Amino acid sequence: MKSYPVGTLERKTVILGWKLIAPTVIIISLLILYPAVYNIYLSFFKVSLNPAIPNQFVGLKNYFGILSDPAFWRSFWVTIAFTLITVIGSMLLGLGVAIMMNRNFYGRSAVRALILLPYVTPLISSVFAWKYIFLPLNGPLVQFLASLHLMNPGTDIINNPNNAFIVVSFFNIWRNFPFVYLMILAKLQSIPSSLYEAAEMDGANWWRKFMSVTLPELYFVIASVALLRGIWNFYKFDEVYLLSKFAGTLPIYIYDTAFAGIPHQGIAASAATILFAVMIGLITVYVKRVLKW
Amino acid sequence: MVRKRSVWKTASFYTLVGLLVIFVFYPFAWMLTISFRYNIDALKSGFFQKFTLNQYEELFGLKQSIRQKLSDEQKELYNLAQTLPKSQREAVLKKIYKEQRKSQFPFLTYFKNSLFLAGLAAFLSLIVSILGAYSFSRIRYPGRGTIQRGVLLVYLFGGTILMVPLYQIFAKIGMTSNPNLAMLSLLIIYMLQTLPVSLYMLGNYFRTIPYSIEEAAIIDGCTRVGAIWRIVVPLSLPAIVTVYIYAFMIGWNEYLFASIFIRPFPGYYTLPVGLSELFNSQHAIWAKMMAASVITAVPVVVLFMAMEKYLTAGFTAGGVKE
Repeated sequence: MKSYPVGTLERKTVILGWKLIAPTVIIISLLILYPAVYNIYLSFFKVSLNPAIPNQFVGLKNYFGILSDPAFWRSFWVTIAFTLITVIGSMLLGLGVAIMMNRNFYGRSAVRALILLPYVTPLISSVFAWKYIFLPLNGPLVQFLASLHLMNPGTDIINNPNNAFIVVSFFNIWRNFPFVYLMILAKLQSIPSSLYEAAEMDGANWWRKFMSVTLPELYFVIASVALLRGIWNFYKFDEVYLLSKFAGTLPIYIYDTAFAGIPHQGIAASAATILFAVMIGLITVYVKRVLKW
Repeated sequence: MVRKRSVWKTASFYTLVGLLVIFVFYPFAWMLTISFRYNIDALKSGFFQKFTLNQYEELFGLKQSIRQKLSDEQKELYNLAQTLPKSQREAVLKKIYKEQRKSQFPFLTYFKNSLFLAGLAAFLSLIVSILGAYSFSRIRYPGRGTIQRGVLLVYLFGGTILMVPLYQIFAKIGMTSNPNLAMLSLLIIYMLQTLPVSLYMLGNYFRTIPYSIEEAAIIDGCTRVGAIWRIVVPLSLPAIVTVYIYAFMIGWNEYLFASIFIRPFPGYYTLPVGLSELFNSQHAIWAKMMAASVITAVPVVVLFMAMEKYLTAGFTAGGVKE
């Protein structure tokens, strides 16, 4: 137990501290903690959209309904695959680029600024650019790939439920690798060069130095950034939905259930609860195994 | 590190850098070049086509698009109106203008709505988080650690989890029925979403300012709260601008809640909602969509490039949230 000051001036200071933090605490509890609990509550109800009709308690019916819905399970596995692909992809690309940018070369500052563009540019702008380059027949990237005989120029890969998920994963990697790169580069630059010098004295080659010095030094950063990216991509809605409504991840399933066609917000709430529970489970395992806290 | 590199190694390194630049910039290059084309050239395959600023002029309302030009029927009405007495003439003209406005590409309206929402939400979040960050980086009191960790926990609750309950809460208190109240709900939600980043980044920065400066001000008769505004805030200006830009970007990009709350009120669409709706409508002309995308991107990219040094430091200082 820490001891806290009790004198009147100190008492005043403590009260001031509480006053200053109060708006934050109120906003976060009212608009994040309360809704999170309310979401679980709603998941046991048939939620009515008409304020005059009260919600109807249905017990676990929403959960049984979802767990026996093949569309839910499809979305679930697509979400898991999407998260794995995008996290691994953006981590590898980010690491590679960070190592490249850690070297001095002509035009480095310009390239560094340019690399951040995908991350900084408003989502809606990048989405339209991507939709354009993937247009069937006319899209420049489609034409290029077709000229290499890598794909049939007539296929609409964005609006096809079978491929949409792949394009969306690529888009996510393209858009988010700069974040990974920035975090890794910052750590890379703080590795003392004496470590490398020592390794060189021992006759280590480039690969050996990378494996025995760089990677261990980066381990914690890589693990934490992967965790952040994993959380964000698991919940990712806008990037996926705006590029392709057919990508079929769980957040899209929830959004469509809650707000499109005939809304079933109780069912959406129970899907969100399941998503959250899975997320907490995965994070707990990850934190114990990988971050070793 | 001095090392001899063969020409071959250097060349392959630069090739790699070149490939990276192409990978990053490819979609933007097309976006730019299409935005300077005429409508009929929008889908042609060469990179350069006939250059025009038409799309931009139309978006900014400097030039009327074909759709906006008066239809024959409207022209007749217009000529007829000239012969009518003044009071009737005004009524007819009003009707014509109203119909004309309907067929406009309301880009500037979307732009204003986004600017208003993102700008104000970032500002409000900045005020709340300056106070909050000061509190937990400078003042010791019971419960401080819990609050600090609690703020981080917010990362676990994405919009995906909160969309249904937040909509239900705002609908219950009647904030979804009227466009102004819907905008207010959005303002509150954007402020909420930007709060954790702002708190975290500012808290980290405040810890680097020596307390003795504040102490001196307090000894000179400044109150503690006065010291925040007169000493801490001016000294943290780079961090504050960084946090503001970052929070602004979050609001400028937000789609999920905007699409839920303002869907019924087209006049209140923000850029992401408006443009994605337009994409599915009669206005979806690629050249214009691309010009709109460029204009949407420019303010943010310019802000970012101007502040790049501070912003990248801010990202890596740890406080980041999407």
